[in-house]
Amino acid sequence: MRLKNPLLLLLLTSTLCAQSDLAHTIMVAVTDIMSPVNMYNVGTQTITTSSGKERTFEMESWSANKGEKSLTRYTKPAAIRGQAFLMLNNADDIWTYFPRTKRVRKLASHAKKQKVQGSDFTYEDMGGGDTFLTQFKSSYVGKEEREGVSCHKIELTGIPSEDPPYPKMTLWARDSDYFPISIDYYNDKGQNHKSLTLSDIQTIENFPTAMTMVMTNHLERSSTLMKTVEATYAWEPPKGFFTERNLKK
Amino acid sequence: MKRLVLLLIAPMVLWAQPEFFGYFESEADIMQLGGQRYSFGYNKLRLDVEARPSDNILIGANLTAQSYRGRTTWNLFDFLPEHAWLTSPYFDPASSSISEAPEIPFSLQDTLFLNNMYLKLSLGLLDLTLGRQQISPGVGYAWNPTDIFNTKTLMDPSYEQPGVSAIRMELPLRDRLTLSAIFQPKEDSYHSTEQFGVKTGLGSFDFEFTVAEYLAADFSPQSMGALKSQKALVGGSIIGEIMEWGVWFEGAQFTHVYNDDYNETVLGVDHTFDNSVYVLFEYLHNESGVTDKAGLTFFDYVYALEGSKHSLMQDYTFLYLMHPTFDYVSLSALAITNFNDNSGTFAPQLDWNAFEDTNISIQGSLFWGEDDTEFGLQDWGVRLRLRSDF
Repeated sequence: MRLKNPLLLLLLTSTLCAQSDLAHTIMVAVTDIMSPVNMYNVGTQTITTSSGKERTFEMESWSANKGEKSLTRYTKPAAIRGQAFLMLNNADDIWTYFPRTKRVRKLASHAKKQKVQGSDFTYEDMGGGDTFLTQFKSSYVGKEEREGVSCHKIELTGIPSEDPPYPKMTLWARDSDYFPISIDYYNDKGQNHKSLTLSDIQTIENFPTAMTMVMTNHLERSSTLMKTVEATYAWEPPKGFFTERNLKK
Repeated sequence: MKRLVLLLIAPMVLWAQPEFFGYFESEADIMQLGGQRYSFGYNKLRLDVEARPSDNILIGANLTAQSYRGRTTWNLFDFLPEHAWLTSPYFDPASSSISEAPEIPFSLQDTLFLNNMYLKLSLGLLDLTLGRQQISPGVGYAWNPTDIFNTKTLMDPSYEQPGVSAIRMELPLRDRLTLSAIFQPKEDSYHSTEQFGVKTGLGSFDFEFTVAEYLAADFSPQSMGALKSQKALVGGSIIGEIMEWGVWFEGAQFTHVYNDDYNETVLGVDHTFDNSVYVLFEYLHNESGVTDKAGLTFFDYVYALEGSKHSLMQDYTFLYLMHPTFDYVSLSALAITNFNDNSGTFAPQLDWNAFEDTNISIQGSLFWGEDDTEFGLQDWGVRLRLRSDF
């Protein structure tokens, strides 16, 4: 199609630019609200497989510098008690600790795409930071009701040179405060293979916090429910907290 | 030192609120070796206790009870080829026949022992661990040239290691810069072990440099026998990634009074493909190993079995593949090849997380090579293991 009317072209271009700016502005707000400076969290993770079998894990996690650093330690079940992983540089560097062998192992970046303890979350999904802004180009789709809530719908397209975790994502952020309540993840074949739903959103120390998160894997027909039992943003990391030394504690 | 640690630990455990955990493990094995079929196995109960009387103190201990069943008495020579018998001090050419193996019987006795018992103090920046503790140096998976404390089982390299009585210090100077020291004080400095290390990181790579001095047994060609003497190690490791493949190198140079200096190196790579297949590959070159099976002596076997040498021969590869195939079921296989005597093993395995804290695994193993080779000596084996954590 060739646009013969320069005015229409100008109008269309400026509309697209405005929408792109709007999408970016919303994603900055989403990143801001999703990335408190520091956080301590106690939670459970229940994996339901395609055959309906369930496994529940309990863990503690700490994050700092807006999710750039994080440490997660499993407390239950007994078989993995004490297993922990440390992620630095927005999950670019991952170390895992196995208490049974007292070994710390550095994982290569291919491990970022691995499932964490067989769940539907990857290490990359658990990492924080400004991934939405640095690894994706955002475009505004429009307003849409999701789970009965008025939302902004944003499409995120991975920037190939930035090695995005997914080639495409669609995100729904609440109109009221830009808190995201749903994200669809697409694979290389363009299939919506995973969806994340955030619900039971409570305000803790002025931060909206999803007490329930469900990641559904549509291709494997499995899901992982993460529940927050306790959370605080007032936690301050002691010096040397995000180190191999503390990983082994 | 054990008494001192016990005196320190016992009262603290009593008034700190200890946590108890552990596991029960049962294993049944069948092995076809030299035309004979053997069955054996064990039941093992490990009870761990951990107490934290304060933020700066961790006290840990575990008690292990292990009972054996099936065949519990073995002859060491059943695991050695005939040509190794001839170099054994137990073989008397005047009265022995080559067709009949000499005997070095050993029995597996039911045991109850303290596997680990340690006190970890965090004194500001310094971490000090006293007592019997698990020490696992190195970045290699199947082999660790810089590990002078443990002997790994190639068929199950990630199995926990027994505790080592030592004093260990770790001093992190910066986020990715740590100095470490391990001392195993014995009756005098000659019999003691000291190891020092510095670990740092740059980008996606971790580096470690280590030196050690320890007492080790080695074969003396002059006396055709075993001699213990001080051995020195200078080594290090690098682990990181290249093109999304995990890569690591671990190497050490050993110096010893009775033998020439030798080097031992391990190179490894690993990767998880998009289809969830995990692959790990390692290559070992160990100059203390023998290149030609005709040159193997009784002592080479003994030192390789008891861990003074990390391998019997010089060049090996280790390949491990794993795929989480079904819900809570993973299929894996390992293949080990000895390139010096052209023998090896292939061992497929199924792991099933049957219940939340219960795992069942079955491993088969097929061996190849001539009858007088390291792996060819055995024909096949099956191992069934059940483990339940609490």
